[in-house]
Amino acid sequence: MTAIPATGPSLSKRARGLLPYLGIAACALWCLAPFYWMVISAFRRPQDQFDNTVVPVRWSLENFTAVFSGGNAFGRALLNSLVVAGTTTLLTLLVGVVTAYALARLSFPFKNAVLGIIIATTMFPGVSQLVPLLKLFTGIGWINTYQAMVVPSLGFALPLSVWLLTTFFRQLPFELEQAAMVDGCTRGQAFRRIIVPLAAPGVFTTAIITFIAAWNEYLIALSMVNEKDMQTATVAISKFTGISGFDQPFGTQMAAGVIVTVPLVIVVLIFQRRIVAGLTAGGVK
Amino acid sequence: MTAMTTADPGAARVRRRPSRAGARRGRGTPWLYLLPAAAVLVPLFGYPIYMLGLLSFFDYRQAQVSGGEPTRFIGFGNYAALVADERFWAVLAQTVVFAAALVVATLAVGAFLAVVLTRAGRVPRLLLSLAAMAAWAAPAMTGSTVWMFLFDTDLGLVNQVLGIEGFNWFYGKWTAFALVGATVVWHSFPFVMVTLYAGMQAIPASVLEAAALDGASAYQSFRRVVVPILRPLITIVVIQSIIWDFKIFTQIYVMTNGGGIAGQNSVLNVYAYQTAFGSSEYGLGSAIGVVMTLILLAVTLFYIRALRRTGEEL
Repeated sequence: MTAIPATGPSLSKRARGLLPYLGIAACALWCLAPFYWMVISAFRRPQDQFDNTVVPVRWSLENFTAVFSGGNAFGRALLNSLVVAGTTTLLTLLVGVVTAYALARLSFPFKNAVLGIIIATTMFPGVSQLVPLLKLFTGIGWINTYQAMVVPSLGFALPLSVWLLTTFFRQLPFELEQAAMVDGCTRGQAFRRIIVPLAAPGVFTTAIITFIAAWNEYLIALSMVNEKDMQTATVAISKFTGISGFDQPFGTQMAAGVIVTVPLVIVVLIFQRRIVAGLTAGGVK
Repeated sequence: MTAMTTADPGAARVRRRPSRAGARRGRGTPWLYLLPAAAVLVPLFGYPIYMLGLLSFFDYRQAQVSGGEPTRFIGFGNYAALVADERFWAVLAQTVVFAAALVVATLAVGAFLAVVLTRAGRVPRLLLSLAAMAAWAAPAMTGSTVWMFLFDTDLGLVNQVLGIEGFNWFYGKWTAFALVGATVVWHSFPFVMVTLYAGMQAIPASVLEAAALDGASAYQSFRRVVVPILRPLITIVVIQSIIWDFKIFTQIYVMTNGGGIAGQNSVLNVYAYQTAFGSSEYGLGSAIGVVMTLILLAVTLFYIRALRRTGEEL
């Protein structure tokens, strides 16, 4: 492929066309290699764990069985993660869309200052937040509850969501909303029927960012929960003890990593294609 | 061309005027919209910020927690101790340099791949999306573990392929930082890529066609058309990356085992954590937390002011 005879201007064009593919190849290797290694290590037998063969010598599901074995209670942990991350995403979008709408579409004094303060909250180191929140939640009996994980995650995710949504809402032309209102829509209807669907790619991007952040949250989930039945998947992974109980449970961790990551990737890819398809079919472009 | 941007505030204000009639019903309406966000953020951040600020002015250690000694107000004592602490300055310096390198690398990779994503065919695009999503969705702890295994001294694949078995990447300060950096960028570039990609998808094709018709090269149309339209999103990913990379914790803590040999790879967040919880110097740890927040605020304000000068709003 590389030895293309020089045929005038088409060569440089072809070389330039190849450049992105080279970039993709380098980056795909860099991002995929660790992920590939995670998957492959998960399917090795525990005794082959440190073989560096590109494909397992003997495929085995032993690591996966270990993940779900009685002591780890991983099924329950996955459910907990789903509840916490799902609720967090829904609430973040709800609050975020309302806030971003006001910041993007309404005019009132100190608007930029409000956005600035919201963004500034993300600069606060999460480690320093831990002890005060632990005291607060102990006081109101929230330890070992879903809300003790959802509410802080909501707080972490909200500032970035508001900022992103505000930017996406601002990009939409004001005429569309006004045309709808001239046609008899109320402000609320114009917002729901015109702005939200048009801002769908932005809303969707915000939802992915929020969900992944909440799904991977560790520090709060570790601190607010001490009952095994309430712990999330990330906490469960960090507490794996290995098959024999003493060894470094590398294979089990990798299998759990695969279980936690793969469904997320598939869902995101499916939705992403839908959204892009819906966008190009729509009238804005 | 300006239909997609509100870069011209005058034009936007004129257009917005007719809708003011609706807002006349209640002057407080916009503030009503902000109420839910305030209800979440004020208790979650107000109380901890107050506590952190307060603690940083007190001599608050293990003895005070257990009630053995009274809690004593020492004014700026903790801050004075920090300023005199050579180790603090060393950690601060390497945190700033490391974070700056991470931000530049993350943005460069993320922006490049976002552009590639818009131009690639179906199969490469799917492959790239898959790779990025996998890196992004993997929990930080699992991701760090895989990278550590790949670069393991004796058993790692990388050392085996390079034929340097026995080389310890975590022994040298710079190789350790480079490896942690590669892991962090691996985790964080998808955010930049996905955000910018979503922004580029919203640019009307007609705009780019017009630029191409006017004879703009791919680079020119990117530099002169795409970047200005994406400016608000670029501002977000830059500031967000600065904040995240300056507060980096998990990867350093897990991969270098709490800051490397003799703390050579420590960063401020790890240092604050170890001071507060490791050495039970809660007051001093709080002071580090306050300094971190103030530095981030200063950097962000500086960046926003620089943007203002070029005529951009937040």
